[in-house]
Amino acid sequence: MFRAIRHLSTVSAMRLADVVIIGGGPAGLTLASALKASRSTSQLKVELIEGGKLLEGLREFGNSPPEDITNRVVSLTPATVNYLEKIGVWDFIRYERIEEYDNILAYDGVTNSRIEFEHVGIATMCENLNLQSALLAKIEDLGESGCPLDIHDSTKVVGIDSAGNGWPVVELDNGERIQTRLLVGADGFNSPVRKFAGIESRGWSYNRWGIVATLNFKVDSFRQITGWQRFLPSGPIALLPLPNDMASLVWSTTPELANVLLKLSEEKFAAMINAAMKLDPEEMKYLYKLAEEDDNSLVDSISWRLSLFNNKLQPEQHELYPLEIESLVPGSRAKFPLKMSHADTYVGPRIALVGDAAHTTHPLAGQGLNMGQADVQSLVNCIETATERGLDIGSTLALEPYFSERWPINNAMLGVVDKLHKLFSTDFTPVVMARSFGLDVLNTVPFVKDFLVDRMSSK
Amino acid sequence: MFSRLSVKSIRPLVSFRSLSSGLTSISPVEQSHFNQLASSWWDVNGPQRILHKMNLLRMDFITNTIKSHLVLNDYNNMVNVAEEEIYIPGFDVGLLDDAIADSVLQDQETRRQELLRGMRLKCLDIGCGGGIFSESMARLPYVGSVKGIDLSEEVLAVAKNHAALDPILEKKLSYDLQAVEQIDESLEQYDVVSMFEMLEHVDYPAEVLKSAIRLVKPGGWVFLSTINRDFISWFTTIAMGEYVLKIVPKGTHTHSKYINEKEIEEWFDKNPEFEVKESKGCVYLPAYGWKFTENEHVGNYFMAIKRVTK
Ligand SMILES: Cc1cc2nc3c(=O)[nH]c(=O)nc-3n(C[C@H](O)[C@H](O)[C@H](O)COP(=O)(O)OP(=O)(O)OC[C@H]3O[C@@H](n4cnc5c(N)ncnc54)[C@H](O)[C@@H]3O)c2cc1C
Ligand SMILES: C[S@@+](CC[C@H](N)C(=O)[O-])C[C@H]1O[C@@H](n2cnc3c(N)ncnc32)[C@H](O)[C@@H]1O
Repeated sequence: MFRAIRHLSTVSAMRLADVVIIGGGPAGLTLASALKASRSTSQLKVELIEGGKLLEGLREFGNSPPEDITNRVVSLTPATVNYLEKIGVWDFIRYERIEEYDNILAYDGVTNSRIEFEHVGIATMCENLNLQSALLAKIEDLGESGCPLDIHDSTKVVGIDSAGNGWPVVELDNGERIQTRLLVGADGFNSPVRKFAGIESRGWSYNRWGIVATLNFKVDSFRQITGWQRFLPSGPIALLPLPNDMASLVWSTTPELANVLLKLSEEKFAAMINAAMKLDPEEMKYLYKLAEEDDNSLVDSISWRLSLFNNKLQPEQHELYPLEIESLVPGSRAKFPLKMSHADTYVGPRIALVGDAAHTTHPLAGQGLNMGQADVQSLVNCIETATERGLDIGSTLALEPYFSERWPINNAMLGVVDKLHKLFSTDFTPVVMARSFGLDVLNTVPFVKDFLVDRMSSK
Repeated sequence: MFSRLSVKSIRPLVSFRSLSSGLTSISPVEQSHFNQLASSWWDVNGPQRILHKMNLLRMDFITNTIKSHLVLNDYNNMVNVAEEEIYIPGFDVGLLDDAIADSVLQDQETRRQELLRGMRLKCLDIGCGGGIFSESMARLPYVGSVKGIDLSEEVLAVAKNHAALDPILEKKLSYDLQAVEQIDESLEQYDVVSMFEMLEHVDYPAEVLKSAIRLVKPGGWVFLSTINRDFISWFTTIAMGEYVLKIVPKGTHTHSKYINEKEIEEWFDKNPEFEVKESKGCVYLPAYGWKFTENEHVGNYFMAIKRVTK
């Protein structure tokens, strides 16, 4: 008797949807707003489930953003920005908080060979929060004009099952269940959806951590707005420009060094960044040791070494290096494990994976989020076409083109980034010679470089 | 070459109490062939993959045809003729300068979408098989209902079971074991009557066509697809499709039953109430899928025929 009642109540708590998106990261929110913005798909019943607390923070950011730039910043390619413009999200971006730049200067810490990428609007620096809050604003705007979408945050997916008709049933931690025509995993690199679908993801950890932080430049001379990236044997360190003479740091390094760097005071950490952008890897080794001992002479030792270094530069050589860092935005430091992985497929019956759920990459080329945006664009195209053709949007027939369009491109990108990482994280001499040769050759052969620039900024 | 459609009825239309006795009936060979395919009909990677893929192209064909033949300016329903005429000119847009032409085309597209959204077409799918086309049609917002008929019970059972998996189809799609001539045109008329990949399987296609077009409302459409009776068709569908590439189950096709596009066109020419509006050839490329060609007289083709309002 009790069982029967329970059974009835669970049945009544089940609702139907056309698309359930798990994950309210950049990929999930973009997918949601693109589906609602499209004439062909705006009438689909779409729900988005996010485990973390999301909406309140994003609305607050939208209404009264903090003064300082927040610490998760991504570099958006022109293709990503174009797409966000097309689906009407870019109108909601807070422009005063983004920075567009035309120039990336990458140099090798071991040999000092350089490569300069120049391309109008090569990238736009944008806080994750700025992007996500614009996406939410767009979704809410569409909701007011008759295309509503349910977003449930602080709601975890605790189970995924199959209904009698083969549709996935998503079970939420509040006891609700949703039966859906199509389940999209935008649920990050641990993707529960991918696991439910039994899709294998292959890859490896780089045994590297990425440290991010927001920084203030010491403005004592002029620099063009430039992205700076230096390849050190332990991994690349990058300073990417933000408005108001600020910069975003992405420093990839070994777990041991990451621990040392994260324990330093913010002042010492800022000094280490300045050292890492200029000093010789041998000197860096010594400084890491001082840092490990948390030696009080660290800041002075770095200043002294940098003044020696700066004094040796010819006046015009100063511009080959970034301005020095004055300070960190307090509390903006964080670390992330870096891994490369790629799912065997992005689609299955009634399943699609987008963004980090499908692939993760080393942040050295700043492609992770952008790859996810391109996934979303392609998947939305597929769903639009399938809807116009009266197909079941959950069928593999409808979803296959998404996989065959995106997988090879992402795979090539993952491969290139992976090889760059391996090429630059060694100081074994023959490789160093080859790579110094490589960079200089790239710099002088416009064709090869243009190809790379095209890739990074592809429209 | 004799025409497949000129064969005169050798016997008068018999009554259809028994399904196997009519001129539009299914032959036992064909029936057993499709029965065998029933269980794997919806496996998009199975024996019917090519049909699933062809369905993508024909859905485009239908929507585009219906959309491009919409009457944008309905003079009878205009409140202010002068104003609305400026909104969507009836003349050749190509004569305008680019920017204006663009915006006119956009207005036209918006208007077409609007008109389409308001429609609830009633459709009959003859020889619906497992329902690949019937289901797709039924999901379109501008379709009100679809009835699929076929003469193979097994195949229809598959169609019904599959439709039951998708709640959106419940109210829009129904199936019936019924021969087309059993439908009484004074009781049932349709905006769209379709016969996809079926005329090449029947013994007297003219009889099927004749029974089918009775059921089209004035202003309504007949959509069909079939295969020209030529060397290319034999080579691609039978030699390559069934024997070399094995992408089509053996015994699916009988070359002598193929019908030329010209034959259908001529058949309709004799009937002033119908006009062939579109005719398009298509070809299957193994690594790509189906693709429209420039020549409807070779290989597979789609046709759209309109019952013109008098
Ligand atoms: C240091 C660093 C720097 C980077 N810099 C760049 C850059 O410059 N340019 C760039 O393009 N990319 C960059 N990236 C990568 C980029 O941040 C990611 O690719 C991007 O955030 C992936 O977005 P996503 O929406 O796919 O996944 P995520 O942002 O990981 O979102 C997944 C969401 O799913 C939710 N979720 C997971 N499981 C569940 C569950 N069971 N129930 C409910 N919700 C769940 C999570 O809470 C999360 O919100 C960087 C990454 C790192 C680590
Ligand atoms: C190749 S299938 C095409 C199915 C469907 N129209 C499609 O294109 O997806 C041909 C179908 O025509 C049916 N058929 C053959 N002869 C028929 C007839 N005389 N009357 C009605 N259906 C017939 C068969 O049973 C089979 O289901």
